[in-house]
This record gives sequence, C-alpha cells and structure tokens, in this order.
Amino acid sequence: MLRYLCHRLWQSAVTLVLASIVVFVGVRALPGDPATAMAGEQADPAAIAAVRAQLGLDEPLPVQYLKFAGHALTGDFGRSARTGTPVREMIGATLPVTVQLAVYAMLIAVLAGMAGGVVAAVFRGRWPEWAANGFSLFALSVPTFWLGILAVLYLSVQLGWFPASGYVSPFDHPLRGLYYLTLPAVILGLAHAAVVQRQTRSSMVETLTADFVRTARAKGLGRGAVVFRYGLRNSLIVVTTIVGLQLGGLIAGAVVTERIFSLPGIGKLTLDSVFSRDYPVIQAVVLVITTSYIVINLLVDLLYTVIDPRLRVSGRTR
Amino acid sequence: MSPRSLSAALAVLATVALSACVPVQHASGRGAHVDDFGTPVGDQQVAQGGELVMGLSSEPDRLDPTTSSSLYTRYVMSTICEKLYDIDATSNIVPQLATALPTVSPDGLTVTIPVRTGIVFADGTPFDAQAVATSLQRHFSLKTSQRTSEMGPVKNIEATDASHVAISYKRPFAPITAALADRAGMIMSPAALAKEGDNFGDHPVCVGPFEFVKRVPQTSITVTRDPLYYDAKDVHLDTITYRIMSDANIRAANLRSGDIQVADTISPQDVDALAKDPDLRVLQSPSLGYQGITLNTGNVDGVGKPTKPIGTPIAQDPRVREAFSLAIDRQTLVDTVFNNWFDPTCSPVAPQTPYASPAANACPAFDPQRSRQLLAEAGVRIPYPVSMQVSNTQDQLRYAQALQASVAEGGFDLKVVPVEYSTLLDVQKRGTFEALMLGWSGRIDPDANTSRFLSTGAGGNYGGFSSSTLDKLLASASRTTDVGQRATLYGQAVQLIHQQNPIVYTYRLRNLTVESTRVAGVEVYSDGVVRLGKAAFVKNQEG
Repeated sequence: MLRYLCHRLWQSAVTLVLASIVVFVGVRALPGDPATAMAGEQADPAAIAAVRAQLGLDEPLPVQYLKFAGHALTGDFGRSARTGTPVREMIGATLPVTVQLAVYAMLIAVLAGMAGGVVAAVFRGRWPEWAANGFSLFALSVPTFWLGILAVLYLSVQLGWFPASGYVSPFDHPLRGLYYLTLPAVILGLAHAAVVQRQTRSSMVETLTADFVRTARAKGLGRGAVVFRYGLRNSLIVVTTIVGLQLGGLIAGAVVTERIFSLPGIGKLTLDSVFSRDYPVIQAVVLVITTSYIVINLLVDLLYTVIDPRLRVSGRTR
Repeated sequence: MSPRSLSAALAVLATVALSACVPVQHASGRGAHVDDFGTPVGDQQVAQGGELVMGLSSEPDRLDPTTSSSLYTRYVMSTICEKLYDIDATSNIVPQLATALPTVSPDGLTVTIPVRTGIVFADGTPFDAQAVATSLQRHFSLKTSQRTSEMGPVKNIEATDASHVAISYKRPFAPITAALADRAGMIMSPAALAKEGDNFGDHPVCVGPFEFVKRVPQTSITVTRDPLYYDAKDVHLDTITYRIMSDANIRAANLRSGDIQVADTISPQDVDALAKDPDLRVLQSPSLGYQGITLNTGNVDGVGKPTKPIGTPIAQDPRVREAFSLAIDRQTLVDTVFNNWFDPTCSPVAPQTPYASPAANACPAFDPQRSRQLLAEAGVRIPYPVSMQVSNTQDQLRYAQALQASVAEGGFDLKVVPVEYSTLLDVQKRGTFEALMLGWSGRIDPDANTSRFLSTGAGGNYGGFSSSTLDKLLASASRTTDVGQRATLYGQAVQLIHQQNPIVYTYRLRNLTVESTRVAGVEVYSDGVVRLGKAAFVKNQEG
C-alpha cells in the first residue's frame, strides 16, 4: 500500500511539472499581450514597455519559466498584473468559496441522485421511475447558465426567496452563508445529480437481480435490508467514481455559476484573469486547479480500497 | 399659393419653430431620452448613514492615480481621491482641490495652480502645494506611469509657496487643465507614498469624502466615510461597497431584487425594461468619447514603426474611404441597434464641450448612391469587399451586423470578424487588420481625442495615418490657449478628417446608470464617472 502510494505521489509530481509547462507556454500562446490589455485603449508605448519589464516578460521564455517555477515552489505566485494584489491572496480568498460551492453542490447531487436512483431501481416500470428518469433527462439537458438565469429571475427577483447574488462566508454567519450558497449549489448540483441517479439506478438494478441477492432473499432477508445493505452499498463504489470524476466538472461548471451569482470563487477569477490576460493569475489558478484534480484523483483511488476490499487485495499484489 | 400648400407650409414652419424652442432631445418612438445627470441631495429629506452597494461592470485596476488606466478605477477613486479640478454637469472644468482655474504666463510656458490649504488627507497629514507637487512629479518619476504623455512636455514642477504649484513647459500645452480634471489631478498623501511606494494602490490615501478600507480582488471594494474630510457635513453614507458584476443581465437582476442600489453601464437592451420599474431611475449623460472604425492606411509593422503603403484601394484611395463613411446610415443604426439610446456622430470632438463648433459637429448624410458613385470613380469592383474586426460582445456584434446591411446599399461587401477584446487590442497594435471597430472613452479636451490617434507616429495611431496638414493643425490647436480659437482649429481638423476618413466615426455612447429611488444624490456627468461621494438614502429607506 505504501509503495503504491509513493508510486502515485511520484506520478502526480511529474504530472504537475508537465502541467505547469503546458500552462506556462499555453498562456503565452494566447493572442493579446498583458501589458497592452492592462494599458487598454490608452496604450502609451513607453508605459507598456515598463509594465512588460516589470512583469519580467522581456526575458527569454526558459528564464521566465524557471523563475516562475522557483517562486511557485515557495508558494509565491507574484502579483496580479492588473490589480497589483498578491496572487496568493487572490487564490486564498477565492478557492475556499469554490470548494464550499463544489462540496455543497456535490452533497446535493449525491443525496438527490442516490435517492432518485434508488426510487427508479426499486419501482422499475412504474410511475416513480418515469418521474425520476424525466427529472434526470431534464437536469442533464438544460444548460446550467440558462437554469441559473431563470432561477435568479423567478426565485430571487420575482419571489424574493433567495438573494440574487453575493456571498457570505459560512465562518462568519453559518446560516446566512448556507442561505447565500443554496441557490447556486442547487443549480450547479442538478446535472450531477442526474448522472449520479442514472448510475445508482443501473448499479442497483444489477445488484438487485444478482444471484447472491436472490439467495439472500430466499433466506428471508427483508426488502429494505436488501435495498440498503446490498444494493446501495454496491452502488457506492460507482458513485464514488462519479463523484471523483465529476468534481472536475463541478469546478468547470462553477465558472458559469459563479458568474451568474457573482460568487467570488476561483472560477470567476479564472475567467476574469483570462480576459484581462493577467498571466501571473492565470498560471497560478490553473496550477492550483490542476493540483486539486490530482489530489482528488489520488483520494478517490485510496477511497476505493476502503469501500471495496477486493481492490485492496489487488493493490497489495502490485 | 393655394390654401392647401399655404397650410402645409405653415405646418412645416410651425414644426421648425417649435422644435427650435424645445431643448435638445433625442427623438424616440418610446418617449424622449433626455439627459439626466442626477441631482445633488440639496433640500431632500435624507437619512444619515447607511451602506450603499453599487454593482460595478468591470474590475478596477490598481487604485493608483499614476498607473491606473481603467475607467472603473475612476468610479472608485471619485469617492476617495479628489482632483485638482473636476467637471460639472455642463462639462465645464471647475476647481476641486485647486481654488481657481490655473493662470498661464503670457508666453504660455508656465501654468500656476492655486491650491487649497488648511485641509488634511485621510491619514491626517496636511494637504498643501508641496503635496500636490510630489503627486505630479510622481507621474514622471514612476516608470509604469500612464500619465506622462497626458501632462505634456513638462520641464519642471514645483511648489512656489504653500498654496501655489507651478508647472513649466518646454512649449505651451493647453490640455493640462483637462488632464488635471482626471487621474493626473488626483493628489496622493506624500506620507502614504513614502510608506507604500510602488504599492500605493494597495492602500490609497487621498483627500475625499470617503477613505479606502479594503479590497477583495475580483469581488468588492469597500470605502468608509472620512471624518477628516473638509466638507464632511455633506457626506451622508457610512460606507459604500463596490461589487464587481461584469454581466449586464446580472446587474439588472440585482437592481430589481434590491441587492444593489446603483449600477453602471446598463445595456440599451435592458434599459427600457428597467426604466419602467417604478423603484428605479435611469440617469443618462452623453459620453465624451466616440465609437468608430479605424481603416488601416499604413500600419504594417505595428504601431510606432514607420508606416508602409498598403496596396488596397481602401488604404490608398480617400474616395473609397469616403464612400464607406457615406454608406453608413448612422441614425437608423443607433435607433434600431441601441433602441435609440445612443447618438450618431461623425466627429472626435464631443458636442457638449466648448470646443465643439458647427464644423466639428458636421455629419455627412447617409448617401448610398453617392457612395456607389465614388466607388465607381475610384474604379473598384462593386461590391467592394472589406473585412472588419470587431469585439465579440453582444452589442458590438449587433451593430456590426446592422452596419453590414447598411454599407451593402452603398456598394460594400462587409465581412464581420468577431475577435475577443484583448486580442482586438493586439490586432490593432500590430496592424493586422483592414478595418477595425473600437471605441474611445473620451476626454473633455479634444487633443486627447484626436492627436494620439491621428498625428503621424502617435502611440494610438493604429491605422498608420499620416497627414502633415492634420499634424500641423492638431499641434497648433494643442498650443493655443484661447478656447474659441481652439474650437475653430478643431473644426478645420474635422473637415480634413472627413476628406480623408482615417477613422470613420459612427456613434457616441450614453452613460446609462440606474439607481434605486431609495437613494438620492448620485451624479453622472459626461466623463462617465458615477459620483457617489455625496449620495444618501432617502429618509426611512436606509440600506
């Protein structure tokens, strides 16, 4: 297990270095230069040149990369080219927002999705399954941004049930924080709930018709016990995989949701920094997101071995 | 004359006479759009205190008057950083931290500014002429300064006594007063400058009704009432929070839900609906800037490099460019695309400033037949193909598509190439375009709207246009201190521009700001800056 862990950590480090190079080169391949974007329509050539020098963009690419990587290792991502704020502060302020949103959305997705999946599997061929399938089809096919705008329009502006935008840290006001995040989290979680529901359903159906379940039933095990002890437990492994994979999608989806609800998360930061060609911020943000993907993947892999003992054995034999 | 034709003539006469009496209005199918800059609090019953939230359409850059280049920074700075001069509702320059307009020596080389004394910065240190000189000098000493060219050919800046600052010039430079009514005129606390240096923008300290509290990047900027402000009795709010909301639909939704009380840059698509909301009020002021299409006549190797001839008729033959200008139905375009909220224009000189004149305001009528005739004279194939790069925002694309239909009548086959904004700036600089549509937010002084874009070799001359006649005209206009004479010179310049059409001016934005009826005292003049410093909540409507 320890060897496996070391192997995975080493793999992750290599991935991270490669990702940092790709990001670094990719950002510079974007059309438009940050100094011009900063100077905007005013564009005083001398000032642009000074800004470029200040950002270190006048140095050769390899030198720029090594400096960037060296600083990044110490957690120093420089200052935003646009606002002059230290990038570390910007990430420190925005990352927790996105993490809260993603976790909340995932919680909603898993709870709603699993409930829907169980209902659909247990009531196969009857109206609750049609209702559950109808919901998942709707949630999957309707784009997040559209749903978000509708939600703001009806639930916030017309009915006044939820705030139209803004963010309160749950650490300051736990209830208000949750209240402000609820609408965005529901909107963001819906599509994921649909995926979780479909997978739960198919996994449950498979388990419920398996030989060992039939045996268990024949021995007199109650219906509820079959559904929850066997069916749900077996579908947990599927759900864990999906949650792992979907967390990535959640961060991508957060870009849209954060914009609609003006949430100060890392998705909004990414988008805004790309538009203003804020190199230091883009580089840092993408690195942070990449790192979190890698960490999530690692955690999901480790979690498998906890949930499913069969994988633990195969892990050991490597 | 028959009775019938007589009555018709009388009707026409009456219409003309009546329209002459009515103040300038923008005719609209849905009621007139009239300038409304907002009104000062005055005698209105207002509450003391409250937290105002404004939805800002874009994130300000550094809160540093020397290095900032974003319009939105000016919104925030207007509450924390007063300037030597300001403009009023009639676009006149008025003293703010100065006590009077500057005096210019007879040779035009020394500009003396009398400044206030006996007031203090937000950090409690005294404001005086020396502090003013320190701020102005920083615009030259800081490498990343964006102010250097705005301030002109400065030789020396010094405080001659506690209440006077003298700027001496290598040659006369008239636009300086207007520059001091902008960021160059914001005075920073020398103590804060000494402490923060290049990072002044992290904790800006100036003289203003409010002082800076904190900034959460990409999210918000908060300012709080400054008890040391010299005019503190006219300041009513406790705090103002500027929340960054880049999407126009989202700003509109938040205004309606009451989450924010003021929002800037409302889209003409949303403003009619918001205007109908009884809880909201639309403020509008004409912009000092313009929107236009730059035609590339010589920028081959990038702006700032020597120009080279481009072998296309539109680059070489002024007749083709004139035909393009004549083929634009400016009035119909703004009416249809922007629901009549914006104004057509053919000039870089803002019509509401004292530098405008009939010559500068002149606009050739839409004439597709003449356009085709000019194209035929130039001997080009009709339809003549033109490729135009535009920013990929909704409003810009809608305009470009309508323009396509308009110029088609005049014999042009316009291809619209949408490009993302940052890229468009880059394309403009590199000169890799045939035609390019972009705007300029504008300045009161016409020099800042003309020289930098049209003088040979100027930093913003993206089309690589070069005309020694225009160069001389613009240079002499910038050296002339008499307003009337300058107006004449800029009128001549516009006539010349209409012959050459290096930039085809299309329309002027209006600054559309929406406020809640719960607040009073929000003001927006033609510089587009939303002024919240003296705003207040109406009594019993505190936020």
